[in-house]
Amino acid sequence: MLECREVTKKYGRKTAVDGVSLKLEPGRIYAMLGPNGSGKTTLMKMIVGLAKPNSGEILYNGSPVGVASRREIAYMSTEPYFYAWMTAGDVGKYYRDFFEDFSMEQYERLLSQMELTKDLKAKTLSSGMMAKLKIAVTMARKAKIYLLDEPLNGIDLLARDEIVRCVLDAASPDVTLVVSSHLVDELEKVADTAIFMKESHLVSVCGIDEMREQSGKSVADRYREIYGHGGVEQ
Amino acid sequence: MSKLMKYEFRKNLLSKLVLLAFTAVGEAAFLLGLFLKWENGLVIGISTLMICGMFGILYVGIESLVTFHRDLNTKQSYMLFLTPRNSFQILGAKVVENGLTIFLTGLFYALLTFLDFTVAAIRIGRIKEFIDVIKNVLENFSVSVTVHSEDILIVFLAILASWIMTLAIGYLAIVLCATVFAGKRLSGLISFVFFLLLSWGVTSLFNVLPDPETMMMQNLLSMGYSFAIALVLYGITGWVMERKLSV
Repeated sequence: MLECREVTKKYGRKTAVDGVSLKLEPGRIYAMLGPNGSGKTTLMKMIVGLAKPNSGEILYNGSPVGVASRREIAYMSTEPYFYAWMTAGDVGKYYRDFFEDFSMEQYERLLSQMELTKDLKAKTLSSGMMAKLKIAVTMARKAKIYLLDEPLNGIDLLARDEIVRCVLDAASPDVTLVVSSHLVDELEKVADTAIFMKESHLVSVCGIDEMREQSGKSVADRYREIYGHGGVEQ
Repeated sequence: MSKLMKYEFRKNLLSKLVLLAFTAVGEAAFLLGLFLKWENGLVIGISTLMICGMFGILYVGIESLVTFHRDLNTKQSYMLFLTPRNSFQILGAKVVENGLTIFLTGLFYALLTFLDFTVAAIRIGRIKEFIDVIKNVLENFSVSVTVHSEDILIVFLAILASWIMTLAIGYLAIVLCATVFAGKRLSGLISFVFFLLLSWGVTSLFNVLPDPETMMMQNLLSMGYSFAIALVLYGITGWVMERKLSV
């Protein structure tokens, strides 16, 4: 299990994440929602150890996140990050070299599903193809936690379906999936828990089914409540 | 760490190949000039080889600093910092790979110089006379010509160590720019001034040390000092990265 305790991150004078406490449990698919600048990406980066919190702590199975947790937490950044000289094949070899849970067979299968080939140069890929490559290499790991930052951004409907299928395939009782997106309707179909972030704060974490049953509201309705009307909750 | 080093080497492979290609052109011109008595070729060859030899080592080091800066300040940083490796391993791989590359580049040009010199002497056919002429010229300028191979090696290693120390100062300045000075105005300039001041400081500290009697001891001391400073800077840089670096 992953736990954030009063985590705060500042970049200069700007506070990107402010006092966030959160528990992520295995067997769940979380939809991390919020507009740009709400702190979703920074929180994910801190969980995977790319960014260091100014205060608070993040624990994975009771220990602070670091080298050991990176063996079990897979992160897909929203921006392209592969070296310019790499082909899709090189990206796979790189992951195989560093991550014991990476499966080259699974990677090749996912590339084929996404209609990508190993000889494609990373720097020449369109944004849609890059999104597919990033998801393929991330999901070819047998990780315990997957953090997918805006995996559905800028890609067509068919590719989106592939990615959603890929995410669902990885779901299992001992795996935690966190997917951030602006596409609330898309996420509502796959996630079972919604995390709402706003202006660097955690607004709420709620089960999607419970929300529907108790208040008759969808995730989209709740999203409008939190972020619509100038941000004033009704 | 070997896997990290493999990718460090790969990152700058293109520039190494370009350097090698220029060297090959220079070598070809030198050999053609020598065997075909083509004087312009000889001049072009020697000039190209000298430039490649002198600036090659310098360029390899500077490029490693540029790469490190890119590794901390672009999204490319995720490739390194997502791996289950700590900052000491990541930095260590860079330092060792770069040190080895500089050493091998230097060794390569030293061997090439030696081979070219030998080939030239054989081609001219009067090795002893050739060496004697050089000796006489140097003696006229009151320069001792008793040079042993171990002296050359120690001087080479002392220069190498000094260059690695300078790079270690550069690594620390880049890390401070990305951590302690991050988000501040003129952070790049502040880091550069820090680099200059620290370089001046470590050189001044070395000058305070007592002068050994022999040249050999002086070079050995310089080498040891440079490696010790580089090691301390490596520790500090790794420590700052581990605690403060957000990419």
